[in-house]
Amino acid sequence: MELTLLILCGGLAVITSLMVILARNTVHSALWMVASFFFMAVLYLLLRMEFIAILQIIVYAGAIMMFIIYAIMMLNLRQETADTEPVRKSKVVGLGMLVVLFFVLLVLGVGRGIEALKGPVTDQMMEKFGHVAVLSNFLFSDYLLPFEVVSILLTAGIVGSVFLAKKGKA
Amino acid sequence: MIEFVTILLVKTLVVFGVSMLIVAYSTWFERKVLGHVQLRHGPMRVGFHGLLQPIADGIKGFFKEELVPENADKPVFILAPIISIAAALSLLVVIPFGDSVTIMGKEITLYLADLDIGILYVLGISTIGSYGCMLGGWSSGNKYGVLGGLRASAQMISYELPMALAVIGVVMVSGTLSLVGIVNAQAGLWNIVAQPLAFVIFIICGLAELNRTPFDMPEAEAELACGYNVEYSSMKFALFFMAEYAHMFVFAAMVTTLFLGGWHGPFLPGVVWFFIKTFAMIFFCIWERSTFPRCRYDQVMKLGWKVLLPAGFLNIFLTGLWMLVFSG
Repeated sequence: MELTLLILCGGLAVITSLMVILARNTVHSALWMVASFFFMAVLYLLLRMEFIAILQIIVYAGAIMMFIIYAIMMLNLRQETADTEPVRKSKVVGLGMLVVLFFVLLVLGVGRGIEALKGPVTDQMMEKFGHVAVLSNFLFSDYLLPFEVVSILLTAGIVGSVFLAKKGKA
Repeated sequence: MIEFVTILLVKTLVVFGVSMLIVAYSTWFERKVLGHVQLRHGPMRVGFHGLLQPIADGIKGFFKEELVPENADKPVFILAPIISIAAALSLLVVIPFGDSVTIMGKEITLYLADLDIGILYVLGISTIGSYGCMLGGWSSGNKYGVLGGLRASAQMISYELPMALAVIGVVMVSGTLSLVGIVNAQAGLWNIVAQPLAFVIFIICGLAELNRTPFDMPEAEAELACGYNVEYSSMKFALFFMAEYAHMFVFAAMVTTLFLGGWHGPFLPGVVWFFIKTFAMIFFCIWERSTFPRCRYDQVMKLGWKVLLPAGFLNIFLTGLWMLVFSG
């Protein structure tokens, strides 16, 4: 049952992700991305991570994609973008990166086995305390520093983008 | 196993049926209340005091002609109302209508699911529902529709944040994200007393998320000729309409659950209390609609970002301080 779901949703996540880059219409691309986020959320559910799954939907499928679609609608990119002259160099580089990434995944995932990627959170722990409690305990004790550093990084990103956007006007 | 499935199936059908009935009759209720506020009668012709009006409207919806505009984006145009209604109906799963009752020696809980993350589920799925408005407006290829869709998305983004912040205050007091847990935590003191600021923020943001006057920017009739659903006809329009009223029911149920003590109350059984409070909230939604004029668009945005968001942060800070001083 779980394996079937995993293969089904994993496969659908891959297909919808492919549709993101293959769709001609920008809004359609964004919608395929929302669908792909949903299948990713199901994958998190299969890992018994309810909390992460719902955050995936709230933050990515909800808020971030809403922003992206808003921007697309604002810029009125409705007409299908014409197929411009293919840029050969970037295509070659992209393909090369794809091959490299594929091998990295192959070595990490299949070569060393999935076991190597397991964190400290176990099923027993989550049944005893609940997902949110386990996660927040780790987040605010052992992993406090990385957690805070990430938030500083995000703030820096926001400040940077505001600066870049204001540069021309002020 | 069979028994479990049967009970779940029956419960699902009951919840679905009752909610659809409430959705249909809240349209009648709204027209009646609006009518009486404006010294009119409201619907009177179909049945006793217009009681059969929602059914007549439904039949009319089925028989009307379905139109798809020439320059519409057809798949998205069809998908948008489906997203709207599907999201609204999925929210019914977590509403705690009451405590458990014993029927034929079996203890049956009066909610479909008690998720560990119930309140986050509500916030997440209601965001997905607003894709319906956005995409419906965009795909119909009508300038009023696009403007309505743009406004819908901007409003959703702006008001979702303070709403979540208000909910965080409630979660801090209750110590759980499960809706059943939040109701149980209010057995002694309702959250409206413990979290008055959060209550006000939640109500204002909820009205904005519902696209109700004074925040009905996406469908402002006077400026946008009905906004995002301008090109929709027949059942597709009816689906948008049903989604809107289902959202109103869910919002009223959420206020009841989070702030008004859910099914708790003296003398009467829990379910009755739940519905009394929920209908009081639905009445409030209609009442304020007939009272306030529509805000200007920039005023709506300013209120969201400059007043409600800081107020939400303040509420979290004050709640934390309170907990530190009095119970820590």
